Amino acid sequence: MLIRPRLTDYHGILLPQAELDFAIPFFDEDTPLYVDPFMLWKSPSQQDQALHTSLINAFNHLGQLAKEGEEEKAISILVAASECDEVGLGSSATRKGKRIGCAKAEEIIQLFKRLPLYSARGFRHFEEIQFYVDGISKDRISDISCSFLKSFLVDFTIDQCAKLGIPTQDSRVDNVYNYRRNDFEAQEGIRLPVNPENRKPLIFVPKRWLRFTPWISYDDYFAQACPQDEISHVPEELKRVEVLNYNRDHYGVVEEYVTKKERSFEDCKNDPLFSQLPITSAKRRYELIKKLPTGKTDNADRKYEDALGQLLPSLLYPKLDFAQAQARTDSGVSIRDLIFYNTRANEFLMELLNDYGSRQITMELKNVRSIEREHIDQLNRYLSDELGKFGILVTRHPLKRPEFQRTIDLWSGQRRAIVALTDTDISQMVDLFESKQRDPLDVIKKKYVEYRRACP
Amino acid sequence: MKTKEDIEAFERMMGQLEGLYNEISQLAKKSPNDAVNAFKLKFVNRVLSTANLILDASYRPFVEFSEFNSDDLPTNSDVTMMLTQYMEQSERFRSDNVIYDGGWKYILDGESSDVGAAQPSRIGRNR
Repeated sequence: MLIRPRLTDYHGILLPQAELDFAIPFFDEDTPLYVDPFMLWKSPSQQDQALHTSLINAFNHLGQLAKEGEEEKAISILVAASECDEVGLGSSATRKGKRIGCAKAEEIIQLFKRLPLYSARGFRHFEEIQFYVDGISKDRISDISCSFLKSFLVDFTIDQCAKLGIPTQDSRVDNVYNYRRNDFEAQEGIRLPVNPENRKPLIFVPKRWLRFTPWISYDDYFAQACPQDEISHVPEELKRVEVLNYNRDHYGVVEEYVTKKERSFEDCKNDPLFSQLPITSAKRRYELIKKLPTGKTDNADRKYEDALGQLLPSLLYPKLDFAQAQARTDSGVSIRDLIFYNTRANEFLMELLNDYGSRQITMELKNVRSIEREHIDQLNRYLSDELGKFGILVTRHPLKRPEFQRTIDLWSGQRRAIVALTDTDISQMVDLFESKQRDPLDVIKKKYVEYRRACP
Repeated sequence: MKTKEDIEAFERMMGQLEGLYNEISQLAKKSPNDAVNAFKLKFVNRVLSTANLILDASYRPFVEFSEFNSDDLPTNSDVTMMLTQYMEQSERFRSDNVIYDGGWKYILDGESSDVGAAQPSRIGRNR
């Protein structure tokens, strides 16, 4: 049972996220990033630019339909496009989104009629609909983009699966946009990876398209370009709906904002799936840890766990991808674990997988004066499941002789390894994070080598 | 030492030890806890293995140490400490292998040679 399973780890393909071209999908929740269509527009790649053109053409075709009196068809296409569960982007905890209603879709389609700018030449960036219709935000923009680009994304997924050896199976994919018919259709028999929990197909999205917020976004417009004084003399009372109404009558302001954003396209970069702490912040976290007393005085245990929870994923990236921090209660004692995906990025990690079956690596954080026998037993019990038989105790001081001997005995009797990282080791990891002379992960390897030398 | 080549090898090794010491002791002052990278460590180990060949057992600083293991993640201060030990012992070895003979000369095969040497700094000044 993996913690926060990812598709690749589930299939035993242990690669770091940093080395892959797509965002690795999780089975039980969405990836908190969004496709920004502007990333395709600004891309130097002809393929991405062409995909943006197709996307915009597909969206503007809705306006064409409306003009030709086929408003209902336009609405049904837009409703179908408004959710794309297969890609799993956004903030849903269930990988299941909700489509927009017909009324909302109609409101969007009306823009083609109501605003002469769009009626005459259509949209250049369809994300501009955020400026006129309430309830349209980054997740919707992302889903509409993915829906219209689904055919390409399916090909991209098939290609990546073949390259990495990810198992696929015949799947039915709903709402694939057919550019010849300008309509959505279901396609059967497409070989895609599936979510083992619900057998639904998964589609990958290139990392280079992902951002936390679209480059052209309502919040940015409101802060940078919206003439707030003109809309309301009391800025505190300015409501989003008033701004949207104003925009409909003053679309020149929106047009000007979009042109400005196009001009500054070089500043638009994709957001990483994981951001490391800057070096100064890492050092500050360590200073904080160093000053904390052991025990629970003034919530020192919580502060210790929080600081390490921020520090360790950054120190170990990209060799170990951070999976999750999870809290458990074991006989009244709160225990915080950090779980990492083992990426097999070097020989040491490979050894952990081969010798201990560690597809994920568990770290247990203990802000105690000294590690006692029961702490080791707790971690040992946790290692017995499919997480693997290698665990790390992160604590303040080196293990005392009897406790260290207990970890040795675990190896002798059951071939399980428990290694302790202390403040000194964390300090060295932070030094290495700064100097880049060696990988901070090598500190864990050093501790493991020392431990193994002590084993019989 | 038996031949002039031995003297040359010894002096080259001394020079390299000093060079490495100067380099890494600077780093150790700045960040003693920081690890020496794999590239530097490879060359430190190469010089130490030459030193181990030249210095016989009575001059080896520690019997149980021959070179650094990269897995042990030696720090700048670890490497500086060991280089200092090797430099001290190399100088003791040199001091025992020079003689005053109208100037300081290396001893080759038990005899004073024509190869000039610097004044010994540790012991044997009165030789």
